[in-house]
Formats: sequence, C-alpha cells, structure tokens
Amino acid sequence: MFRNNRVAWFFVIPALSFLLLFKIWPIGVSFIESLTMTSFTGKKTFVGFENYTYLFKYDPVFWNSFWVTIVYSVIVNPLIVISSLLMALLLNGSHFFTRFFRTVFFLPTAISFAVVSVIWMIVLDPYYGLANSFLTLFGLKPQPFFSSTAQALWGLIMLNVWRSSGYWMMYFLAGLQNIPEALYEAAEIDGASTLQKTFRITLPLLTRTMSFVLVANTAFNFLSFAPVYIITKGGPIGSTNLLMYESYKSAFVNLDMGRASAITSILLAIILVFSFVELRLTRAKFDY
Amino acid sequence: MRRLLVLMILLTGVLLSATTLEVLWMGWPKDQVMQLINAFKEENPTIEVEIQLVPFGQLFQTIEVRLAAGDGTPDVFIVDGPNNASYAARGYLLALDDYYTDEEMNDWFKASIEEGSYNGKFYSVPYGTSSAGIFYNKAIFEEYGIPFPSESIDERLTWEEIAEIAKKLTKDTNNDGIPDVWGLVIEQIDRPYLLFPLMQSLGAQVLSDDGFVSQGYITSQEFVQGATFYWKLFNEWKVSPQGVSDSAIAREYFGTGKAAMMLGNEWNLRRLAQYPGVDYGLTPFPYFEGGVAVTPTGSWHVGINSKTKKLDAALKFTKFITGRDAVVTWHLLNGIAPARYDVYEALPEVFGNAMWQLFFNEMENTAVPRPVTPGYSQYELMLREAFNSIHYGADPKKTLEDAAIRIDRELRRYR
Amino acid sequence: MRTRGVWKAVALFSVLAIVSLFFIVPLAWIVASALRPASPLYEYANPLTWRTFIPSKITFENFVHIFTKLDFGRAILNSLFVSVSTIFLTVIVASMAGFALAKFDFRGRQLVFTIVLITFMVPFESIVIPLYVMIKQLRIDNTYWALILPGVANGLAIFLFRQFFAEVPSEIMEAARIDGASWLRIYWRILLPLSMPAIVTVIVMVFMFQWNSLFWPLVATHSSRFEVVQVAIASHRSTENTSWANLFSSAIAGSLPPVLLFLFLQKYFVRGISGTGLKG
Repeated sequence: MFRNNRVAWFFVIPALSFLLLFKIWPIGVSFIESLTMTSFTGKKTFVGFENYTYLFKYDPVFWNSFWVTIVYSVIVNPLIVISSLLMALLLNGSHFFTRFFRTVFFLPTAISFAVVSVIWMIVLDPYYGLANSFLTLFGLKPQPFFSSTAQALWGLIMLNVWRSSGYWMMYFLAGLQNIPEALYEAAEIDGASTLQKTFRITLPLLTRTMSFVLVANTAFNFLSFAPVYIITKGGPIGSTNLLMYESYKSAFVNLDMGRASAITSILLAIILVFSFVELRLTRAKFDY
Repeated sequence: MRRLLVLMILLTGVLLSATTLEVLWMGWPKDQVMQLINAFKEENPTIEVEIQLVPFGQLFQTIEVRLAAGDGTPDVFIVDGPNNASYAARGYLLALDDYYTDEEMNDWFKASIEEGSYNGKFYSVPYGTSSAGIFYNKAIFEEYGIPFPSESIDERLTWEEIAEIAKKLTKDTNNDGIPDVWGLVIEQIDRPYLLFPLMQSLGAQVLSDDGFVSQGYITSQEFVQGATFYWKLFNEWKVSPQGVSDSAIAREYFGTGKAAMMLGNEWNLRRLAQYPGVDYGLTPFPYFEGGVAVTPTGSWHVGINSKTKKLDAALKFTKFITGRDAVVTWHLLNGIAPARYDVYEALPEVFGNAMWQLFFNEMENTAVPRPVTPGYSQYELMLREAFNSIHYGADPKKTLEDAAIRIDRELRRYR
Repeated sequence: MRTRGVWKAVALFSVLAIVSLFFIVPLAWIVASALRPASPLYEYANPLTWRTFIPSKITFENFVHIFTKLDFGRAILNSLFVSVSTIFLTVIVASMAGFALAKFDFRGRQLVFTIVLITFMVPFESIVIPLYVMIKQLRIDNTYWALILPGVANGLAIFLFRQFFAEVPSEIMEAARIDGASWLRIYWRILLPLSMPAIVTVIVMVFMFQWNSLFWPLVATHSSRFEVVQVAIASHRSTENTSWANLFSSAIAGSLPPVLLFLFLQKYFVRGISGTGLKG
C-alpha cells in the first residue's frame, strides 16, 4: 500500500465525478423520494418513514414479495456462481475446442435479458413448447412450468442460470489467468491430483475474483426482473412476485414514487448485508 | 436587385419558420409509419416531424418519464384511451375544445369521444377504436357436428351456450392428459378490457361513478358471478388453457387449430391472415342469459402536450394524422378499427363484409367504454392480477375482495 | 503419458458437449425459425422432428427485411458507436480509480469504495427520472452524450479493476518509483499492460451493458437517428401484433456483435506477469 493522498485522489477524481453526477445524485433524490408522499397533482409532502412502516406493517403483498425474493436469491446466486466457476475451470485449458465452447456458453449472454425471457416463455409453453416436446419424446409428462405455482420460480431460476453462467464464467477465466503456472508445475511434481490442485491452489487464489462475482451477481439478481415483467407478471398467484417488480409497478403504473423508492432502499439494505457477508467469507488470506 | 432581396427575405422567413415537432408514438413498424409522416411533410414542408417509435412494452413508462420533466416535450404523443383521464387530471394534456368544431366532433363514435374526454372537456383525439367477438374454427365445428353460429348482431349466443359448445369441442384425442383442441381461448387471458363485458352483461358496474371506489363494485354479487363463470372455464370445465400469457400465443393456438374458438379483437381480421390454414367465422360477443349485450371498445388517441411551444404545428399534425385520409391509409397498412365514420364509408370494399359490419354495429350499439378514472392504470393492473390468480384457480370472491382493498387504497390518493 | 492426456481431453470434450446442449438447443430452434419463411410459431416445435432444427427451406428473407425495410443496420451502428465510445472512457477512468483503491491507502478510501459499491446496488428504474431531468438540464438530451456519459459511471468496472490490481505485486511499482518513474507512467506503462485479462473483461462488461440497454435510450434520445439495437428488437412485440420472424432475425443479428467481440478478445486471456510466476 502506497501512501500519497494527492496522487490517489488524482486517480480517483475522474471516475468519482461521473459516479457522483450520474449515480449518487439521482440515488439521493430517489432516497428523499422514499420519505415523501406525492399526491397525484404532484404535490410532495414529507412523511418521514411512513412509506416504510406501511410496507412492513400493512402492505398486503410486501412480505410475500420479500420472502419470494429471498428464496429466489438464496437459490439462484450459488447456482450461478458454481456453474460459471465450473465452466471456467473446465475451459481453462488450451485445447483446440476451448475457444469454441467458451463462446457457446457465452452465447445466451449476448442476447438481452428481455429477449431471453421471450424465448423461454415460448420454449416453455405448457402445451406446445419445445421443452415439453422433448419431455414427451422421452415419455415424460409435459410440465406446466411458468403456469404452476410450484414450478414458476424454478423456471425463473433456470432461465437466469442459463443466461448468466457464461457471463460470470468470463470473470473467472480472467481471474484464473493470474495464477502462476509454476505453482501447478510444482504441485504436479509433488504428485498432486487435479482435484487437489483445484482445491489447494486454484480456489484459494481465486478469492478476489470470487468475491467480485459473488457481490456483483447478488446485486444483479436482486435488481433484475425482466422475466417477471415479460412472462409471469408476478404470478401464478404471487409465486414469482419479486420485490423489484413491486417497486417497478409502484413507480410506473401506480405512479407512487414513495413506495417504489422505499422498496429499492430496502433492497439496497438487503444487498449490502449479503455483500458484507460475502466479502467477509471471501477475504483474501494473503497479499502480494 | 430589389426582387432578389425580397426573395431572400422570403426564403429566410420560410427557413426561420421551420419548426421541429417532437412526436412520441407507439412502436408500429417504421416503414408503415413513415408513409404517413412523408405524406404530412409534403403538405407541410415547414414542419419537421421527429417521430419516436417506442416499443409497446416500454411505451407507458417512457411517456411517464418524458412528461415528468415538464418541459413541453413531446409536443404530441400517443395516448392509450383509458389513460386519457390520468394524463388530463395531471395537467399533461391540452384541452382541445377550442380547436374542434361541433361538425368535426361528429366524425367520431360517441364512445371514442367519451374515452378522450375528462371532466367535461375534450383532451385526446380518437385515433382508433376496437371491438371484439368470438372467432370460431369452421373445420372443427364441422368435424364435431356443431352448427356454425351466426354473424348477425341479432343472433347473439349466450355465455352458457358458448360454454356448452366449448365443452363439446375440448378434445384429448391421444389421451396424454393434455387437450389437443381447446374449446375456447381468450386472446388477452386476464385483461379487464375483454372481461368487463361479462360482469357488465350481468348488470355489474365495474367502478364507482366518481372513479375512485372499487369496493362494492368489483365485489358485487354480479361481478363475482361473472368472475366465477370465468373461473369455471379454466378450473371446472377446463375448456380453456391456463397460462397463455401472450396474445400472440393465443392467436397461434387458434390459428393452428388448437382452439375451436377465440374471444378476440377486431385486429384478428388482419392478423389471422398469418394462418392461411384456418377457415374461420365470427359470431357476436356473448352475453349472459337474461342479461344485457355488452362489448368492449376503445383504443389509441392522440394528445397534445399542455406545455407545448409549437401549438400550431402540433394541431396541424394531430388533425392530419387523425384525419380521414391518413386514417384510411393507416387502416390499410395496419388493420385496427378506425374511430371515424367517414373511413368506413370510404372503404366499402373492406368494411362492407359481414364481419366488419358486425364490429361496426357493436361499436354503435353495444359498446361500453372502460371506466373513466385518473387511476385507471393501477386499477387495471391490480384487477388484472386478480383475474390472473382467478384463472389459475384462486377463489374469485376472496381474490376480488383483496384486490378491492388494494385498489381503493391507491385510488384514495386521487380524491 | 500421452494417451492419458488424450483420454482426458476426450472426456472433457464429451462433458462440455453434453452441457452445451442445454444452451444451444433453444437457440438452435430460434435460428432455424429465423431461417424459415414466416410461419406459425409452434409449427415445428411440436411434435419434435428433425425439421424443428433444420429448416426444409432456408431463406434469409427475414434478415434482409429488417435491414432493408426497418433500418436495423443503423440501429447496430448506433449501438456500436455508443458502446465503443463508452468503453474507451470507462476503461481509462475506471482503471485509474481501481488503481487508487487497490494500491493506495488514502484519506476517504473507505467512503469512496462504499460509494462505488452502492452505485451498482441501486436499480436503474429508481434513478431514471432524476437522471433524465439532469440530462435535460445539462442540455445533452437527444445526443450521443446522453447515451455515453451515464454509462461511464460504472461502479462495477471500478470494483473489478480494484480486485485485479490488488493482485499485481507492489514490488514492481516500488522498483519503478525508485528508478524515478512518475505514477502516471507506472499506471500506463506497467500496470495496464500486466492487466490485459481485466481490461478485456471490462471491455466486454461495458459493451454488454450498453449493447443491452433498452429503457434509457428510449428516454434519453427521441430522434430516430439514435435508435439502438434493443429498441429495434423490442419493437416487434405488441398486444396487437407480434412478428416472430422479425423478432428472431433481429435478436440473432443483434447478438452477433457481442459474440464476435468475445471470440476476438479470447486471445487476450493470457497470463499476466503474476501468471507467469516472475516475481521479484
């Protein structure tokens, strides 16, 4: 660590200016919004934390939404991280087919979340979709997928894993490049197996990348809702009603910016808590 | 020399007076819309039109953000009929009574004028309207010996009769537990637009007269009765597939012979051309035995920003785009029902056929526009969620009661 | 020894091939549908036949249509321009900040880092209205700047650079300082060249972010000359009409630039100096 305030600030100021202007300022405005109630004529009244207390105590859909969101996150985050890590580990070599498969896994990311949602909606059509055609081909029963309260959330989870794994794989691949080849060679001389090399060398040296992927992925998954907007609209019967979708409806349909901002502030708090835990768990145990 | 000077002054005058009009429009195909814009430019060379085509899925949010900045742009924007009240109540729309003569007002359907008005003033100009009916697959009806229902507005089937037909025509021919043909598919499966007529047929009023209370209206006995019939379609008789979340997919089911009947909009007269394999007929929107015949209606309008700085150009554009010639061209390109009488008269070859005649008659006689309330979008969304839950099997009465509480809390802010 | 390596490679290939089916199959159906003349959506999906994935008659008319009649080419060029411009600015600005956060212990460091994290933990939907109002006040609405500049405010890129730079040995920089190099020189000549994987990753990150943005371009610009790729793709769906053929062809054409970019940048996933094990 170098000590030089002037130099450090010189390097920080350009990015910080952008962040303050285009992110922090609007975020601040949005947070103030959560402390107000806007009448439909546009008149704003300061109401303190009333929007929040209403959400926690009286809002009929908030708690269901909250738990759906937590369950979704707790399942989808590890799934994505593990699958993208596995992909990166498998594709860390330099076989002739490595580049090909990396690109194949990356393909779904090249399509926007919205279009991916449309594709999954039609592929998982409960009666005539491609997925059910495959199932019936193998003699299995066709599934309702997004039209079942039991399966809809899993549908969203798998959609997300399908689309995002290739993306986070890229970050892990980048992180893997930083691991000295010499360490693997030394281990091989000592007779270490692939599994041992992975757990003793690769994973520990990937902690910084891992913490990045964990934190960023957590944030993304709490804040994105395109599949809900396009396919399930929160249903069936509230089983996929993510908090971010509730916030979105409040902002753009109900024109209730107070409630919308209160929900996103709550989401920010949740994300910060999760991130704090994740950063703790993946603390780099050494320093160069 | 003097003539040259005069010419230059005139030219500068013309150039200086060139205005740029910002128009926010629905994301219809660019090549179609540009035909209208180019026609407008020919008539009005000093007005430059910058038209933005916003995809339907992002349209309403984009309008909200643009209007929230409050600077008078976009000068002209597309208004979905029922949202007229919300924009007008918030002061976003310019009242147009001063700019339209009574004669001009006679051009449109009464229901369309009603949809474009709020608190006695006229705010958005009708651009299109709509109607709906039951499309049926002639081949399937023939195969199972069901007589073709009539196209005539006087021979309307009841919902009870439709349900019977649907039961007869829901077939699982290969016994895999999934019907290969469904009796009835609803084009927009949970949208109040298509479902209000069921409740209204039973005599229900869907919202209070002042537009702020749903308790007692969507929870009335008649409304619940209509909603229960709807529930039965999916959960008791199982004649309609659950989870058809996109109107294009509903059309696909009908167009490929997977549904014997479709409750759908007039635009299907154009859209079903994508499915040359289906020979379809049309019969009027059903009503309940002993009840009233009610059909849905209403569609796009055009509004002028109340703070626009280019009123003259905005009026010219609005009158052009909603005028007879432009609407004729637009119908031929796009297929939605015009809101102007003279367009129907101008295209007898299109509107002369029995199916358009039916829709026209419905729009004149049985059409009931959606309730006028500044809180329409939140009312509709929550009601739609309620219908969605009901079609998946939730109890109609309880679901509607919960929805009424949530809706009224939102609408309270408007009083 | 060599045969063991070959068997391992074969095993690896098989596993990858099976997993990749999960990703490819839905896309293969979409591609096949785009190469067919416009037809009912589920015509070949159900029941499953070989025709599901291989059109009996291949035609490019859907692709031709979006490029000739619907100006899709311009949308692609716009998105390319905005994405590339944002990349240039972001890589420089974010790597500088990442450098400071990773290697300097300065007053306000924790605060800056927290700010960086918060900026990607708040959804775009909650800041769109104040951001739009600000863009209007800065008078950059309806310009390319409105699309580019807010994209440079990317906390995730800064966070990524910080993580990567933390792994670069400080000794190299110390040595350079002793030799009289300025910090700017160290940043530009030593740090960046060692961080190609990070830079490449941020390039893809920023590119994807701009390439996939839909809502902001609709709000920030309204002239048709600024239309971006996702807007063009999204316009094919509405309640009244959905043209699957155009939707599929534009989605596929619109996904090619990111894929090509990723493919091309693969060769930069090379081991940096720490990777080669050369240390002080």
